[in-house]
Amino acid sequence: MREVVTIQVGGFANFIGSHFWNFQDELLGLASDHDMDPVFQNPGVNMDVLYRSGETQEGVLTYTPRLLSVNYQGSLGSMSSHGTLYNQTPELPSPVATWKGSISTQRSESLNRNLFLQSLYKEEQKESVGKDSKHADSPDNIGDQEIMESLENGTQFWTDFSKVHYHPHSLYEINGLWMDVEGFDNYGAGKDVFAESSRGEEMTERLRFFVEECDHVQGIQCVVDDSGGFSSVAADFLQNIADEYTNTPVLLYTARDPGSFMSSKSRKRNISRNLNDAVSFAKLSPFCKLIVPVGLPFLGGSKASTYLRVNDEKPYHCSAVYAAALHALSLPFRMDSLGPTATSDCTLGALDFNSIVQMLSGQSRQNMVAILDTTMPAPTIGEQLLSKLQTLTPEISDDMEDLHSVETLVIHGALKSDEQRASVFEVQDAISAAYEQASSRPRFCHLSAATCPLPIPLPFPSIFSQTVGRCGQLLSNPSSSSASKGSLDVHSIPMAARLRSSSAVLPFLTNRLENLRKFGIQHGAMGGELLKSWGFGKEELEEMGETLSNMVRTLAPYSDLTSDSD
Amino acid sequence: MSLRMLNPNAEVLNKSEALRMNINASKGLQDVLKSNLGPKGTIKMLVGGSGDIKLTKDGNTLLREMQIQNPTAIMIARTAVAQDDISGDGTTSTVIFIGELMKQADRYIDEGMHPRVMVDGFEIAKRATLQFLEKFKTPVVMGDEPDKEILKMVARTTIRTKLYESLADQLTEIVVNAVLCIRKPEEPIDLFMVEIMHMRHKFDVDTRLVEGLVLDHGSRHPDMKRRAENCYILTCNVSLEYEKSEINAGFFYSNAEQREAMVAAERRSVDERVRKIIELKNKVCAGTENNFVVINQKGIDPPSLDMLAREGIIALRRAKRRNMERLILACGGDAVNSVDDMTPDVLGWAGLVYEHVLGEEKYTFVENVRNPHSCTILIKGPNDHTIAQIKDAIRDGLRGVKNTIEDEAVILGAGAFEVAARQHLVNEVMKTVQGRAQLGVEAFADALLVIPKTLAENAGLDTQDVIISLKGEHDRGNVVGLNQHTGEPIDPQMEGIFDNYSVKRQILNSGPVIASQLLLVDEVIRAGRNMRKPT
Repeated sequence: MREVVTIQVGGFANFIGSHFWNFQDELLGLASDHDMDPVFQNPGVNMDVLYRSGETQEGVLTYTPRLLSVNYQGSLGSMSSHGTLYNQTPELPSPVATWKGSISTQRSESLNRNLFLQSLYKEEQKESVGKDSKHADSPDNIGDQEIMESLENGTQFWTDFSKVHYHPHSLYEINGLWMDVEGFDNYGAGKDVFAESSRGEEMTERLRFFVEECDHVQGIQCVVDDSGGFSSVAADFLQNIADEYTNTPVLLYTARDPGSFMSSKSRKRNISRNLNDAVSFAKLSPFCKLIVPVGLPFLGGSKASTYLRVNDEKPYHCSAVYAAALHALSLPFRMDSLGPTATSDCTLGALDFNSIVQMLSGQSRQNMVAILDTTMPAPTIGEQLLSKLQTLTPEISDDMEDLHSVETLVIHGALKSDEQRASVFEVQDAISAAYEQASSRPRFCHLSAATCPLPIPLPFPSIFSQTVGRCGQLLSNPSSSSASKGSLDVHSIPMAARLRSSSAVLPFLTNRLENLRKFGIQHGAMGGELLKSWGFGKEELEEMGETLSNMVRTLAPYSDLTSDSD
Repeated sequence: MSLRMLNPNAEVLNKSEALRMNINASKGLQDVLKSNLGPKGTIKMLVGGSGDIKLTKDGNTLLREMQIQNPTAIMIARTAVAQDDISGDGTTSTVIFIGELMKQADRYIDEGMHPRVMVDGFEIAKRATLQFLEKFKTPVVMGDEPDKEILKMVARTTIRTKLYESLADQLTEIVVNAVLCIRKPEEPIDLFMVEIMHMRHKFDVDTRLVEGLVLDHGSRHPDMKRRAENCYILTCNVSLEYEKSEINAGFFYSNAEQREAMVAAERRSVDERVRKIIELKNKVCAGTENNFVVINQKGIDPPSLDMLAREGIIALRRAKRRNMERLILACGGDAVNSVDDMTPDVLGWAGLVYEHVLGEEKYTFVENVRNPHSCTILIKGPNDHTIAQIKDAIRDGLRGVKNTIEDEAVILGAGAFEVAARQHLVNEVMKTVQGRAQLGVEAFADALLVIPKTLAENAGLDTQDVIISLKGEHDRGNVVGLNQHTGEPIDPQMEGIFDNYSVKRQILNSGPVIASQLLLVDEVIRAGRNMRKPT
């Protein structure tokens, strides 16, 4: 077993994380419930990779994510930054033990727990009272339907729909920013945030807490909301990590919610946005081994949501889709790695961080930018499956043929017919057959598979269309209702996700390079002043341009963009 | 707690509106922080939306907890926080002083005075006050053995404004000893060499100074000793875990044997490093009762831990980077980056190393060291917010002691300096100033009095009585401050109330600069808000 430590930085990253950990929590719950479908026992996937075992001062055992979440103060909503498990010693007569003079109390408006959190809390109380309690079905029980409605309409913070217990070291709030969300929307706004008032030190310390207890950490998986100031915080943090944990690979997902793409009427704002994108990408990429841009400007209308009803205005919706893809991609890291001859019925194709990095970016081409494709839910296995994979990475070319592309595909919980789950070997056979048939084949493909599907926990948003059945199968005669289905109707879904190293990512790279040159580097560029205020000098900008053009050159050696036009 | 002093929808404010906004915002911020000041101030308990408690009497901490939106308030807050970064204290005073400068200026501007003239007066007054500060300061000779009493008085003055008296006095001793421990003649004091560690445990009075180091982790092997005496300490930054080395870690191996061979080779080289450490241990410990402790900045994996445990070696992995430096200063020896550099000379020494476990948290104490130049203040407290507040106070105390040593001077406290400087400005300086700028000097002089006034107000005294009696004493040539229990004048020297020279100077420097900027504002344009919803 080799541990993975997860870092989430910024608003949308934590929304994704919240769903991601909900999946894990759901899996843990299903695995311990023996009345459940045995497929959820999931023996080949080791949860300890992502979770840590601990103990409170009172000696209560705990099992919490190996996670460091960074966000601004106030983003935790009604959840305490100490988490929920390690409760403090009961309050002393006076909470102020250090001052004998007068006390003034400033109380922020207390945030009420929503129905979902209330029901979790009640459930827990019930458990501590004892399972036999007679009033288990007391009338004040909150109905699932009501809970889902309240989440659909009232979700404001990522903690509103989180059912996971977090460790007190996991939730770090940045205070003293003196900026509202709108002001923190560019790379420059986050400069110095990491360095100032020992915030960086605190973050590094918290990360060290989780790494120190790992016997053999395989890597750090990092989700960053790179739409604004947090990319600068993350870049400084990652630089620090690269220094401290030199040989520990970092896998970086840069995530966006559709709201951050909304174009503005103001030209100035658009330039700022474009430069932010270019700078963020150029600054983040040097400190990781593999970078995966995630987040479409119009997720709801994209091909990726053929079977989904996603409301782009709700981060609660969009993040669920991305979290499902990230969950699938994390499975190979958690599979027990077997000897060369041994096989398992439940899992296939274990990979560790280093292998995945080597495979995608370490071979003939040193391309470190990977494209994320997914199909949610995955169709029954067959030739179709490959063509159903749709990208979640923005600014990708659809029709680029790349003979050198390399991919790693993860399929879990695949169905072979409407009722039956496919074994991992059937998946393997079907996929290799599909590749044989395909018109264009990648140079290399790795397949990981698991039988366990993606469970849909109660707080998952209602984003499935009527076509999706109870086990995620695609119904041939769906009801014509236009309502969307949620966790009450869909219990689990098969998923497929793929990371692809391909020249299809070129438009993404060249857009950034061109924007940086046009608005930043060129003589008299319109964004010159702005970049100066973000703290960048000419040399540093040229260095960033070089970073980007090297990435382009790797994929398109003869592109005229790679040579400096001035 | 957001400070909204004006209609947030306003887009462009003309000159007088802008000035009004600046004055109001500075007053507003002053009002929030005012009650903090001094040993009779009010502690603030902040309860967040989720019920999280924060406790603070520190202006710096309080500002950071506030979600300030008003641009003027942000500007003042930044100055005040920078004040703390530079000199370690005086945040509250800075905010109060700026607020008061604006208030005083407001009176004259209302009567038709041009802000420009006001600002000129401020400038003259500022220069005169800084000169006066030089004359007024009490020099302290530092030499090889600093006067511990004066250091304690400075530390006590600042800590008593943050914690109740008996706890403050206990910490005073700890803080002074800590700084003296890390101080090296002829070198700037690096306060990072005082580690501040906390345990959520027992009571605040159990806080103590450890001459040595406390690490917040323990060994990760069940068979390693939990306590050892007479220990050699090896401080190193050497990876003792198996990593696929980047170059060799090709994804394709031509066959399984090849893969196995690669793994084995890598494992061998890790084992080799561990063996070198064991060799060194045997060399220095053979035939004695001495023990051997390895503290590594990089990882140590279970097979390596196993090998070390079998030899009776205690090993800690992933030590903080800064602890590498502290360990050397505490225990002696050198940090090594490669096993090839290991000789008996690089080893440090500690009389006692032991582990303390609290739930899942482990602490390793490295104590009984010879001639330490690094130490640890171990804070104990019943809950996180108490610990955080004690930590704030200790930080301020440490900075106060450091400043005193580096300034080689202190300033009489309890408002004595402010009253003296005010009298100096009014009685001496104003005469030399031509024209209306005089009024600027007067406004500045009166603004200085905000410090003793606020101290009196927080102590529940009548501010006017207090100011009159203080002024009177000063005019008679007695330099006095305020006794906050009785309201009577006292001699700060006798009472041992001293402030930092550099903190005062910094406040006098930055306060008027910001106030002047705020007075000379032309117009304020608020950035248009975009339509993006907060997530």
